[in-house]
Amino acid sequence: MQLHHPARRDFRRAFFFFALLAICGTAMSQPRGDAARGAEKAAGCAACHGPEGRAPLPGMPALAGQQREFLETQLVLLREGLRNIPGMEGLLRQFNDRDLIDIAAYYSAAKPFTESGTRDPQKHAAGAAVSQGRACGSCHLSDYGGQRGIPRIINQREDYLAATLKAYRDDRRVGSDTNMNALMYGLSDQEIEALAHYLAHR
Amino acid sequence: MLTSTLRTLTGAAILAVMTIPPALAQQKPAAKPDPRVAMGGYHPERMDSKGLAPHATPITITAPENIPVNRLQVPPGFKVELWAHGSPGARMMARGDKGTVFQGSRAIGRVYAIREKDGKRVSQIIAEKLVQPNGVLFHNGSLYVAAINKVLRYDDIENNLDSIPTPVDMTEAFKLPPEVHHNWKFLALGPDGKIYIQVGSPCNLCEINPGVHGQIRRYNLDGSGMEIVARGVRNSVGFDFHPQTGELWFTDNGRDWAGEDVFEEELNRVPADKIGGFFGFPYCHANGQPDPDIRVPNACANVILPVVTLGAHAAALGMRFYTGKMFPSEYQGAVIVARRGSWNRTIKNGYDVLRVNATADGKNPKITPLVTGFLDKEKNAFWGRPVDVMQMPDGSMLVADEQNGAIYRVSYGK
Repeated sequence: MQLHHPARRDFRRAFFFFALLAICGTAMSQPRGDAARGAEKAAGCAACHGPEGRAPLPGMPALAGQQREFLETQLVLLREGLRNIPGMEGLLRQFNDRDLIDIAAYYSAAKPFTESGTRDPQKHAAGAAVSQGRACGSCHLSDYGGQRGIPRIINQREDYLAATLKAYRDDRRVGSDTNMNALMYGLSDQEIEALAHYLAHR
Repeated sequence: MLTSTLRTLTGAAILAVMTIPPALAQQKPAAKPDPRVAMGGYHPERMDSKGLAPHATPITITAPENIPVNRLQVPPGFKVELWAHGSPGARMMARGDKGTVFQGSRAIGRVYAIREKDGKRVSQIIAEKLVQPNGVLFHNGSLYVAAINKVLRYDDIENNLDSIPTPVDMTEAFKLPPEVHHNWKFLALGPDGKIYIQVGSPCNLCEINPGVHGQIRRYNLDGSGMEIVARGVRNSVGFDFHPQTGELWFTDNGRDWAGEDVFEEELNRVPADKIGGFFGFPYCHANGQPDPDIRVPNACANVILPVVTLGAHAAALGMRFYTGKMFPSEYQGAVIVARRGSWNRTIKNGYDVLRVNATADGKNPKITPLVTGFLDKEKNAFWGRPVDVMQMPDGSMLVADEQNGAIYRVSYGK
């Protein structure tokens, strides 16, 4: 009879599973989303955002390594047309909440994007001053890696960052709350472009 | 460097506001707040650690099996159960005459209707793509919805839930200011038959135009006849009327970045002879504490102080007076208030539903917990965020949990 081996294997597997669960339970809050399923759902996204969301086309955001909770919220806002990017709304209509949670899990687990390109020291310094003045590091943290619902902004595409920050300033973009609109108010295009350059070339 | 820059900015803002006497400030035109002022009072160095940031509300569906309602605690004799789910981001509640529960929301831009259909309680989206439609009110068959930039009225709504009619757009009549920050709405119908609505202060701490911001207002049902009922209100997201006196009582949230334990949220009362009275923002907070950044002489003179304070950063939002027959006698006339819970505090607090007993003139306040267990104090972690309460005809109370898009029912006996 073969009964013993599978049983023992089951036991070992169960033990391993519970040990893993215990580690996960202490190291992080409960895992959320199925990244592998998300990868399948997100297959079409690579056309614009690049493989694993790491090599986006001009004007598109890198998604690799982005904060999971931030991605979930943005995917829903895009699907609902609240963050108004008509192309994205059409693409996301087919997905239910579970699909979006899985897609967010997939991109957040990917190795983060690194912007290439040349740093302009003067522009960089000007951007650093804007960041300090608006205290970006308070919520996005001092390495600009973000946390939970607050996005990773370090090494994001410069053109995307500049366009996004201008959209917040001009009330053309909504977030999970209204803080970014309030924080960008009053900045000139030049200041925002310097801030984007600084964040993109860390 | 960061700190000193901020100090300089805040200093500049203080100098700027100090040169404007409050009387003159009233004549200033409504303008978007200068962000250096909007960030006024931003002092991370006053907090124990950095990295404090608002907790973004999940706007995806939470399955009922993932809502640990068994962790909730209520006093002996009470029971709490999951009553509805599947309404991501759902917040303030209003009940139709036929039993439909309407709920507004913020980021997700939806209004929900929760009703019995084919023997099941279901949640349905009745409006979407609105800008933070937090305020809902049901009156004479109509549902009033207040978004930041719109006031809508859905007539005969409960007879038309299968085919939602085009709403009457009342935006023009209400003439609400366009600023988005702290301007999501709360709606209530007064005993005078008027609609009460608040206009928050569009900043954490700033000099506001008292002719426009930091108010609770009342209007005729058609949006005409606006009167200011309360001034100097930072950000109220809950009010109700005393069952005996008819006076307005409201919650108000204190400013951030002043420290772990300051300033506490308030439960306020507008005495009948002080309609239009001043409640202190931005000069005087909580139980009569002057602001450390915007300083004026005698900051708390002529300020109507709160009935009671409700904890620092705890976000006391929706509140209702209890008038039902189901709960024990000590609940009669008590305020039941939902505290959404803190973000601008390293040790989290709030995340519960409280009962506040006080006399009709606001004396002898006493606070007693009603629903706890959303917050694990040992782990400093939360799983739910109560934002509103509403009494049902049988005397039970509904509690809306924004974090899980769920409603719980609190009942007693039976």
